[in-house]
Amino acid sequence: MRPENYQPVEHPPSHEFELYFGPNHPGIEGNYALKVRFNGDKVENVTADGGYLHRGFEKIMEERLWIQNVALVPRICVPDPPPMEETYAQAVEMLGGLEVPERAQWIRAMLLEMSRIAAHLFIVGGCAATIGQYSNMFWGVADRDRILDLFEEVTGARIYHMFITPGGVRRDIPDGFLDRLSHLLDYLDARLPEYDDLFFDNPVHHRRAEGIGQMTQQQALSWGVTGPNLRACGLPFDVRRDDPYLIYDQLEFDIPTETGGDVLARTMVRRSEMIESTKILRQIIQRLPHVKGPIRCPLPNPLAWNIPAGDAYARTEAQKGELAFYVVSNGGTKPWRVHVRGPSSMHAVQVLEKLCLNARIEDIALIMFSLDACPPEVDR
Amino acid sequence: MNKQLPDVLESVFQKMPHIVFEQQNPRRLRVKIRADALSTLLELLKGRAGYLHLSAISCVEWPESDEFELVYHLWSYEVKTLVSVHIYIPKKPGRYVSVYDIYTPAAFFERDIHEMFGIYFEGSPNMEPFILTEWYGPPPMLKSFSTLGYVKETFEWQDYSPQWLQEIQASGGGIVE
Repeated sequence: MRPENYQPVEHPPSHEFELYFGPNHPGIEGNYALKVRFNGDKVENVTADGGYLHRGFEKIMEERLWIQNVALVPRICVPDPPPMEETYAQAVEMLGGLEVPERAQWIRAMLLEMSRIAAHLFIVGGCAATIGQYSNMFWGVADRDRILDLFEEVTGARIYHMFITPGGVRRDIPDGFLDRLSHLLDYLDARLPEYDDLFFDNPVHHRRAEGIGQMTQQQALSWGVTGPNLRACGLPFDVRRDDPYLIYDQLEFDIPTETGGDVLARTMVRRSEMIESTKILRQIIQRLPHVKGPIRCPLPNPLAWNIPAGDAYARTEAQKGELAFYVVSNGGTKPWRVHVRGPSSMHAVQVLEKLCLNARIEDIALIMFSLDACPPEVDR
Repeated sequence: MNKQLPDVLESVFQKMPHIVFEQQNPRRLRVKIRADALSTLLELLKGRAGYLHLSAISCVEWPESDEFELVYHLWSYEVKTLVSVHIYIPKKPGRYVSVYDIYTPAAFFERDIHEMFGIYFEGSPNMEPFILTEWYGPPPMLKSFSTLGYVKETFEWQDYSPQWLQEIQASGGGIVE
């Protein structure tokens, strides 16, 4: 029922209108909003609006002990937490001059690569769902769950492991774990042709994703794009290779690239990266039993653990791109300042705003998922 | 002079007066420079040494000093070294020049520093709040802003004594604070 004093507002006839895309929308990853101005169904202007997931990590971390922050850090990024733990641990190790035992480094690399596959499955599934291929999403989430089962076996937790601590890892791997991981990799290898049939080689997907959200290598470099999105533009840059950490310089792996720079190229890079990660994991399965020794270096009483004054910039290759922590210590028991540079802080704001221009209304979600823009990292 | 310093970087640093640098490890270089020389250094690094990637801009506040510390982290795809350029700018009036015309990614970090620390960057394309759109208090990342103090000022404690808790307290138990 309309109220008695209702008066319809007369607008001049126009093709231009504004839409709020998000913050609660199935086509948006997490809680994030885009204010989009359309002309017909063509995008004229996009303004990203963040802050819905701001939890103030940088401020809270300044008031927690160095070891307490281990529990806080993985929560910054939901789909891919181990690189967060690794980067924080690396920064603390650089500041405190801690030597990580070799066995711990291999276990860490194993977790990081498992997480990379899990997050890629998740995001490729999400990408497929935005163009209506929901089966791939269900498959991706179901297969990711098998990796989470293994995470639960090693760390006791499925998502937020809090397993990589400064100076090593919390526990050694259980007996027979590597066999089970090997079985899982065999399973994933066998699944890949099915994924190809369903999604990666699907002509519907190819026609839909080709030429959408395209950027050149020049643009990608000047916009600060990193990770799979940069490799999809043809530049084989990977922090694991160019700024190596842990034992990545002892492993053999390729850096897959594509030249298209569009949604299709980004998806195909993710597919090849899953294959590379399984290759890395197989090498780790072979080498890890022969690396003996402790899994942690001795730490002082964590309640009175002073890290020497200084600053460190640690960075790793997360599944989404370059992840970096700038940690400053003033010699106390708590960090003085922690700055988190999430890979999505570029992809979700500036790059997304530019790539969506002149796209069509139904492509926005696809472009956002193909960039793997993760709002929790932007808002921190 | 450190022998490990790449030639390109050495030739860039020779052009800059008052530059202090220290090698933290083979791929990390810490540089201190006067604030007014920053844009010249960034342009030289980008043009001559291939420092195309601005990884991040971090701001650090030291309450005992009257200057903010700004750190520009740059990565070169050619030299494969990360240079962290440290500059100090006065807290009052808290204005500085944007490096957006040299590095596009700077826009996001400068906007972030503006809302978290209150430093205004002239020439940056957008200085509107991004994360704290509905926040009217002081910049929250300053050390003078206490989260606990804010909570105590803004919210009140509510008495909570349900029946089951009263029974426990009557038998000698209770909540330990």
